[in-house]
Amino acid sequence: MDEIILLISIIMIKTQITISNTLGLHARPSMKLAELCSKFNAEIYIKKDGKKINAKNMMDILMLASGYRSQIEILVDGDDEKIAVKEIKSLFSDRFGEES
Amino acid sequence: MQTFSVHGIAASSGIAIGKVQLVSNALQEVEHYKIKKSGLDSEINRLSKAILIVKNDLSNIKKDIKKKSSDDFSSFIDIHLMMLEDKNFSFYPQEIIKLELCNAEWAIKTQLDLVISKFDAIDDLYIKERKLDVTQVAERLIKILLGHQNKKISKKNYRSTILVAHDISPADALQFKHHNYAAFITEHGGANSHTAILARGLSIPSLVAVKNARKLINNNDLVIVDGDSGLAIVNPNDQILKEYEYKQNLWEVQYKKLLKIKNVKSVTLNNQAISLMANIEDLDDIKTVLESRASGIGLFRTEFLFMNREDLPDEEEQFNTYKSIAKSMKGKPVVIRTLDSGADKTTAADTIKATNPALGLRAIRLCLSHPHLFLTQLKAILRASAFGNIKILIPMLSSLGELKQVKMLIKRAKDSLIYEGINFDADIQVGGMIEIPAVAINAEAFAKELDFLSVGTNDLIQYTLAIDRTDDSVSHLYNSVHPAVLKLISNTINAGKKYKKNVAICGEMAGDPRLTKLLIGMGLTNFSMHPASILPVKKKILESDSLKLKALASKLLKLNDSEKIETLIQKINQ
Repeated sequence: MDEIILLISIIMIKTQITISNTLGLHARPSMKLAELCSKFNAEIYIKKDGKKINAKNMMDILMLASGYRSQIEILVDGDDEKIAVKEIKSLFSDRFGEES
Repeated sequence: MQTFSVHGIAASSGIAIGKVQLVSNALQEVEHYKIKKSGLDSEINRLSKAILIVKNDLSNIKKDIKKKSSDDFSSFIDIHLMMLEDKNFSFYPQEIIKLELCNAEWAIKTQLDLVISKFDAIDDLYIKERKLDVTQVAERLIKILLGHQNKKISKKNYRSTILVAHDISPADALQFKHHNYAAFITEHGGANSHTAILARGLSIPSLVAVKNARKLINNNDLVIVDGDSGLAIVNPNDQILKEYEYKQNLWEVQYKKLLKIKNVKSVTLNNQAISLMANIEDLDDIKTVLESRASGIGLFRTEFLFMNREDLPDEEEQFNTYKSIAKSMKGKPVVIRTLDSGADKTTAADTIKATNPALGLRAIRLCLSHPHLFLTQLKAILRASAFGNIKILIPMLSSLGELKQVKMLIKRAKDSLIYEGINFDADIQVGGMIEIPAVAINAEAFAKELDFLSVGTNDLIQYTLAIDRTDDSVSHLYNSVHPAVLKLISNTINAGKKYKKNVAICGEMAGDPRLTKLLIGMGLTNFSMHPASILPVKKKILESDSLKLKALASKLLKLNDSEKIETLIQKINQ
């Protein structure tokens, strides 16, 4: 059992992100994020305050209520996980194209 | 069909004859009923079909919007489309139907209540408010399920369509503006509610405070709306119909007569020039402004740029709008009022629901507590000032302290533009709205510090008489010629004279031809109103002798009896 958990933690990419757009993950960013994540085969989850939701679901992201400067953890697992993490990170660092 | 009439407050004059389109508050109408196990499949089928119809409707709206405006706005529809595909609409309601054997409408409402309770638990105020989007999606679904609105009225027919609604919010109004409805009937509102102002702006008749209108009147009923006597006749017989068609023609003939003075200069009989400016809400209004021959824009209500969207317009977007307006007015003055959000006009900037919003954090108070929001707007206005004759107008000032803060922020906006090397009008005029009684009483102090004053009579009356203008139960007490209101206006006009500063009225009073002569008598020379009111007001100006009116007005200002005031106003208008 321990080996399996170890295995999962090895193959899964985890990354911490701080929300930097001032309005937080409101409707439009949630939609953009869900749209992006849906493009990948990998399973993608977001963890925040002990809650874990599917990042391909916009309403779930929205209701996670991640405001400005809150910390979230992204978990990505699948054959295209590397490119997925890269694109997700750049979506956040671009502040969803909302602010310059 | 039986002929009957309903009564309300006459909010906008004219006569319209047309078929009714009921707009319902669907969520309030949902009833619960049990379905049989054998009917389970068909109930679920009904729900799936409704979801499909709403998807189609939204996709069509999106196509429509894309043709007209920027991409930015259509993502708002995308969000609704995505919500519709979410399990909260596409899966859970189905499960509720299976589990509880209830009707589809009830299942959606149950799920909506659950989602809303989750949103209510969210601390982030901005994200919390997104529950509005979920509610709108649910409302659309329920409307389809209840069988409302599936008989779509094509745009061509709007001209003969009479809208019957509980109320028209400023956000609805923005959309209805382009629909060419023939008339409005609402259950809620007073003569100065948004429905009324919208209807007068569109020059269509309107009745407000028609109790139970949506129960008494059915979809597609033939209705005559008489906006002068506050009466609507439902299912009229041929004789009544003929009589009103005649009246309607007569009304149109009079209107055509007015068009003849369109190009006549706005001066009184004794050669006193009176400036007639226009109030606008967005770029689309410019066409009617130019058409009306207004001498400028006396009030651009920028909050409408911020409404019906979930984000805030950035500096570039605001700059482009202000610049286009300034340029199309070709050097004529354009008074831009900074964001007057709050109370009944809410935008993404309003994150707090106040218990008494009219007295809460709104307009300049909101802007001063969010300096970044305010600076963005100020910079956009200043940048646009390089392209025309722009002035800044500050709403809801209540103290000189606020004015000082405003001036500091304007200076900061100017400094940052100088630093960025961007051109602007360094001597841009800054004026203040006079709409809080405290400021009207103390008008001289403000006249000294400001470049011009603009009296917002709607709020001034509301605050002076302590009457909510959207509340029909007290709307009979709303009196624009209340002696106290007239004294406050007169005091403001005189303060402007003393310090040689322009005073304008930009509220509904300016567009009421019944009051034109009185205001001229009180010394007012600047009127700003909805473009549709300019001709009727100009007609009054052409008949006025400001010297004679001055004597009558000063007599009227001494009166305290409302009946005597009414009689004298009638006399002034003779």
